[in-house]
Formats: sequence, C-alpha cells, structure tokens
Amino acid sequence: MVDGMSLAWLQIRALCFKEWRVLLDTPLGYVIAIAFLFVNGFFFEMNLFLFGQADMRAWFYTLALVLMFFIPAMAMRMLADETRSGTFELLVTMPVSTSTIVLGKFLALWMQILCLLALTLLYPLTLSCLGNLDIGQVLASYLAVVLLASSYASVCLYASAMTRYEVVAYISGFIMLLLLFLLSKAIPSFSPVMQNWLFLLSPLSHYQSMLRGLIRLSDVMFFIAMSSVFLSLTWFELERRRWR
Amino acid sequence: MIQAEKISRLYGATYAVRDLSFQVRRGEVMGLLGPNGAGKSTTMKILACFLPPSSGTAEIDGVSLNNDLEVRRRVGYLPEHAPSYHDLNVFAHLSFIGRMHGLSAATLQDKIVEMSAACGLQSVLHRRIEELSKGYRQRVGLAASMLHDPECLILDEPTTGLDPNQMIEIRQLIRRLGEKKTVLLSSHILPEVEMVCDRMMIINDGELQAIGTHDELVQKENSGSVLHVCLRGHVDAVAKHVQKLHADCTVEVIAQRQADQSLLVFRHPNPTIHLAEAVFSAAVAEGTILLEMYPERTSLEDVFHRLTGEAA
Repeated sequence: MVDGMSLAWLQIRALCFKEWRVLLDTPLGYVIAIAFLFVNGFFFEMNLFLFGQADMRAWFYTLALVLMFFIPAMAMRMLADETRSGTFELLVTMPVSTSTIVLGKFLALWMQILCLLALTLLYPLTLSCLGNLDIGQVLASYLAVVLLASSYASVCLYASAMTRYEVVAYISGFIMLLLLFLLSKAIPSFSPVMQNWLFLLSPLSHYQSMLRGLIRLSDVMFFIAMSSVFLSLTWFELERRRWR
Repeated sequence: MIQAEKISRLYGATYAVRDLSFQVRRGEVMGLLGPNGAGKSTTMKILACFLPPSSGTAEIDGVSLNNDLEVRRRVGYLPEHAPSYHDLNVFAHLSFIGRMHGLSAATLQDKIVEMSAACGLQSVLHRRIEELSKGYRQRVGLAASMLHDPECLILDEPTTGLDPNQMIEIRQLIRRLGEKKTVLLSSHILPEVEMVCDRMMIINDGELQAIGTHDELVQKENSGSVLHVCLRGHVDAVAKHVQKLHADCTVEVIAQRQADQSLLVFRHPNPTIHLAEAVFSAAVAEGTILLEMYPERTSLEDVFHRLTGEAA
C-alpha cells in the first residue's frame, strides 16, 4: 500500500491505463484514428495542391474545426458511460478523490488526442522533404494545437459529466465548442472595446495568434486557464451529484 | 466495526433513511432486510461514502464518515447489480480496482489469483465482462470488493443472479469472511439471511423496525406459546390436567380425525413456557396416548410481514 500524493499519481495512471485499454480493446480507438487521418489527409492534400507551397498554416486552421467534431466523440463516454453503467458508484467508493478522477480522465483524453496529433507529424515530415518548411512555425503551431486540444478536452469532459447519455454528451460538447468558434467569428461585428474583451475570451483567436509562429505567454496562459476552469466545473458537477 | 448514530438521508423532502442507529461488530455478519424502497441501498451507499448523510454520524472501525478517503480504504463495497467495466476483461478490471486501492504489482497479482479462486473466476479471467453471465458478473463484483482485503464488507444483494450452487459457495465465502471481518449485507432472500447472518435488522420506510438475532426477532414477535397436539383417549382429562399446571392455558379442540383421535391447540400467553412438557406429563398421568405434538413457530417471514406490512 502507498499513501498520499504517490497514491493519487498511481490512481491517475491507473485511470489513464484503463481508458487506453478500453480504447484499444474496442473498435472505438481504431475507427476514430482512421476517420481522423482520413479527414486530415483530405484537407492537407487539398491545401497543399491548392497553394502549391510547403506551408501548413491553412491545414492548422482547418484542424481546429476538425477537432471540434472529434474531441466530443472521444470525450462523450468518459464520464457519461460511468454514470449510465453504474461504475461511477464503484469508482467513487474507492479511496480516490474527485479531483484525481477528473485529472485522470482529463489526462487520458488529452493523451489520446495527442496520439492522434502525433500521427499527423507525417505531414510536416513529407513537406520538409518536398520544400523549405518553416520548422519553427510548425512547432509553434503544434504547441498551439496541443493547448487548444487541452481546452477542448476539458470542455467536452464537462459535457460528459453533466449527463448519463453519451449522445447528449457529444451534442452538448459540440455545441459548446461551436459557440466558442462562432464567438471568434463574430468578434469584428462588435464595438472596439468589446472586441478586445472577446478576443481575450476566444480560444480560436489565441490559437490563430500562435499559428503565426509567435508563442506568447498570454496565449499559453489562456489555454491553461480555460482548461482549469472547465476541469473545475467538471469537479463541481461530480461533487454536486452526491448532494442532490 | 460499523457504528451508525441516527443517520438520515433526505431526497428532496422525502426521507429515504430516518434516524437509523445500529452497530455491527467485528466478526459478525449483519443482514439488512426490508421491502423495496425501504432504504436498504441508501443506508449502504451512506456507509460506503457514496452519499453523505443529511444528518447523523457513522463510524467504520472508529473512523468517521467525514474522513471519507480513510473510510473507503477500510470498506469493500459491492453496489446493487454489481457494476463493472464491461469493455475490459476480468483480469484487467480487477487490476484496475487493485491499482486504485494502491496495491503493489506483486500483491495485486497474488490477490487476483486468491480472489478469483475464492469466487470461481479462474476459467473466465481473460474473458471480457460483457460476455459473461449475470452470475459471473456478480462474482466479479464480489471479488473486486474483497481485493484490497478490507476490514469491513458492505454487500448490496450479493447473491442476486447466482444459480443455487453458486449461492451456496458465495454464502460459505461470506460466512468465512464474517468470522474475521465486519460484514453488512442486504438480501431479499430471507432463508439466506437466516443461514448467513449472525444478526439482522429490518427497516421499513427508512426506519429501523427491529434488530437482533433470528431467535430474538422471532421471540419478540411471538405473542405466546402455541402447541398443536393429537391425542387418543381422555382428551378432557388431559386438558384439565394441563390447565391445573398452567392456569392461563387455553385449550381448543379443532378437529376430530377419527372417532377416538382429537386435534387440540394449547395456547399460553407466556412465550417461554414449556407447554410440551406439561402436555406430555398430563397424557402419561391420564393414560392417554400422545400421537403427535408440534409447536407453532413464528418464522422470519411472519416477522418480516408483520413489521413491514407487506408479503415477504
């Protein structure tokens, strides 16, 4: 037996391992990976042949949209399925804190997304062989998409915590991400003061700012803050269930 | 040891459990009985730290429910319907549970082997849980609840879905565990509770109706001693003789089997009196042949029915 912090880390590891096991032991992981690569491959070759340049910026723009569809699909069962199948009762009656559960689920989801993103590293490798690719910009863009994925994952985990139905979790997660996307698109129609505020609150604005190859602390902090807010909301939702 | 002091749980404005106080000692199996919706599962959820009580306190091995992480370490909980991760195989599921309890890799391996043997899971250890029958899933739940060798076991209907052979095995396992640990189990099968439990408590509408050993509960519900007797010979003389020995005894002839055989019922308001001895002595003294004699016993079903107002 171990105690304290080390037990919490062991539990986070166990939760991550269990989620990976479910993903790899069922068709779910393979279907998502194949569909993700198919869709991204399509957009990548379209941008490549359209512009004829060794540049990935257009693909990174569309990747933010593609993630809006895929991350809710990967997150929907994380907590909704636990609630529906009754394993949530099993989980929370083990010596594990709610924050450990939330962190374990989040890290499992985030790492699954990172693995999908790692599969796309083939694209910059191909491009660097074909032309003169700005490696610095690509690395900054990958950091941006990793951070964006973290905030999307926390939003969708919260959606999964709010319901026991996976489809409801998917739709509500997708709608929350869509609203955030529409917010960034609607920024120009607001007054200049409002534009400044909305820019600060829009994940896509920060993402697009990082795609230029510029890593600003404010952008990085925004994604960390956004993930923290939604993970806290997830924690609150799970705690609230006990007191209903 | 489980010590509950006036625990209550409200769902909205309705009490699921109200002012429930009881104690389960170490080395004791306590049965929790009650009709559907009586508050059995809610009581267990409170003690397993799944739901906090609205009021009242409880301690597991001297640790208050407020210290929930410490309590959960000491409790092995089998929720109703034995939920498990259906996408995993039995081994992966048990490994996950063990790791969540902080078992080291070596201990975990030994414990999985031990518990799978105790619950008869060796043949299905590498099969996915969704492919298993309800009985096997129940056994997986039981094995998972005992994996970390808890001091206290809280089992919500542990034998549901098991076939008769499995039921016997699991009951024996619970009895063995109950010799050293504190076990609280709920069940709808009254004979099972009689067989497995040292003591039992009956709750209805969230309130405790009775608590004690089987004999204590039955004794408490007994309104007196009742003895059915079949005699051949001087029936009236025997009845008078018995009434001379026990003045409050009433005798009723309920049937004549044949011309010379009578069926009588002797009743006495005192449940502890030995009516059989008196009838036997009277029959011998009056030269009457005693053909049959049996006491009317109150069963646990009768007690349950009287206390909960529903058929068992």
